[in-house]
Amino acid sequence: MSLAAGRTVRPADSSPAVDRSLRGSAGIGLRSPHIRKLRAERPPIRWLEVHSENYFADGGPALAALDDLRTDYPLSLHGVGMSLGSADPLDRAHLAKLARLANRVEPTLVSEHLCWSGVGGRHYNDLLPLPYTEEALAHVTTRVGEIQDAIGREILVENVSSYLGFAEATIPEWEFVAELARHSGCSLLLDVNNIYVNAVNHGFDADRYLAAIPRDKVAEIHLAGFEASGPFLIDTHGAPVAPDVWALYTRALARFGPQPTLIEWDLDIPAFEVLAREAATAQSLLDACHAVAR
Amino acid sequence: MPSLAELQQRFADALCAPEGAMPEFGIAGDAPAAERMDIYRRAIFANYRKALAATYPATQRILGESAFAEIVDAYVRAQPSLSGDLNDYGETFGAFLGQHPAAAALPYLPDVARLEWAIDEVNRAADDAIDPERVLEALATVAPERLPGLSLRLAARCRLIASAHPILRIWQANASDFGEESRAATDGGGDALAVRRDPDGIVVERLPAGDFAWLAALADGATLARAIDAAGEADPAFDLGRSLHAQIGNGTIAAIVDG
Repeated sequence: MSLAAGRTVRPADSSPAVDRSLRGSAGIGLRSPHIRKLRAERPPIRWLEVHSENYFADGGPALAALDDLRTDYPLSLHGVGMSLGSADPLDRAHLAKLARLANRVEPTLVSEHLCWSGVGGRHYNDLLPLPYTEEALAHVTTRVGEIQDAIGREILVENVSSYLGFAEATIPEWEFVAELARHSGCSLLLDVNNIYVNAVNHGFDADRYLAAIPRDKVAEIHLAGFEASGPFLIDTHGAPVAPDVWALYTRALARFGPQPTLIEWDLDIPAFEVLAREAATAQSLLDACHAVAR
Repeated sequence: MPSLAELQQRFADALCAPEGAMPEFGIAGDAPAAERMDIYRRAIFANYRKALAATYPATQRILGESAFAEIVDAYVRAQPSLSGDLNDYGETFGAFLGQHPAAAALPYLPDVARLEWAIDEVNRAADDAIDPERVLEALATVAPERLPGLSLRLAARCRLIASAHPILRIWQANASDFGEESRAATDGGGDALAVRRDPDGIVVERLPAGDFAWLAALADGATLARAIDAAGEADPAFDLGRSLHAQIGNGTIAAIVDG
């Protein structure tokens, strides 16, 4: 593979290695309807993930709740607004807020999305698809390095769901993701649901995707529910994890080992118990994978 | 080969075009390009509606869900987000409502929205440690001749909102869903409000005109003497001693700045 030729390749050890302490554990995405219950009852969830930007505030009750919960639950910060792949310069103020939050809550993991969300100074506040080109790969590789330098730690980068591909793309998504991990020094947050959704939306083989990803680069897995809309699958995070996605997840565990796994639910958020049951299903699969690995 | 910046700009232009419009860039695969683009078009407006509904629950309740959605869509087109953090978006929504025909019959609505933005800001403001006893002690040690030139710094977690409409009552009637339609009288004089965050949560309090004018002047950086003048103009019966103790006691005045 010659993709790295002529590109400035950052040494992979420029930032502290990603924390592997959540290996073998299933967690849930912390959403506001469940915060009161979690604080009062401290249910046995292994870890929590939050959207970083929701805690960028200078102070206030949301941040206080996070300070409180992190005494009992390891945290993962999951960014949705860095616009990692945008051609615009990185937003230094955004980066500084992420660094401030990471210093405050000492997360086990910090992740961002492999996407862009604005250009020309305007933001669309959504996870928009990248054209998978050599230029985009070089650009994102450099930007991952800038983010890791700014916050002083290795980040995880997540593959996103997408509904269209650019005709100009020259690299299959799975190769783009794999090359980014090899050359930027980041780890991967592999969203198995997004792979499944994209396999349907773009007509590729999800297992071929998994096979292209370096075994040692995956440090977290996401699971969520999608909804069908005509010929497309929409990554709504508003439904239980689909049976086909559980099956793909099992195959991902066989390849990547029992990586920390998160259940995400953002739309029509159900009772906490429903989310906890999804996490328990993931946990049983992680436990089974762990037993085989030993 | 177009650059990354060019491709992203073309995508952004297509995103802003109406549903059904063909994007002016090449899309891979054989499914209809416009349909693929529409998924993104619908998603971004849905995101903004959801985000602004969370910030402006009473405004949404007053307008109704569909009128609110329509106005949010117009707002997003007229004044797009400039931040990757969606929580930053929407500060000017109240002012926008004042210009929008759908809200013309609801003259109080822009101020209700301004109140909701103030509450949102106060909820995210810094947790300054404020000790009223120490502020009072600091005030007591200031030499009398220096008092007129003092500045008083207000806490980050407080905002002042004035309206010609009774927005506190309107907001209270619409801020949460009581299970049935809540209607408040929308006439009957204006409000001068302080929004602050106490340890137990948000407090929205009606202030006497003099207190409001005084705090508003202090918030603008006026000296104590000038703020007292402003208060006296608004209310000849303004009582400085009472207001000082009340506003230091409740944490609105965070510090004394001498010189």
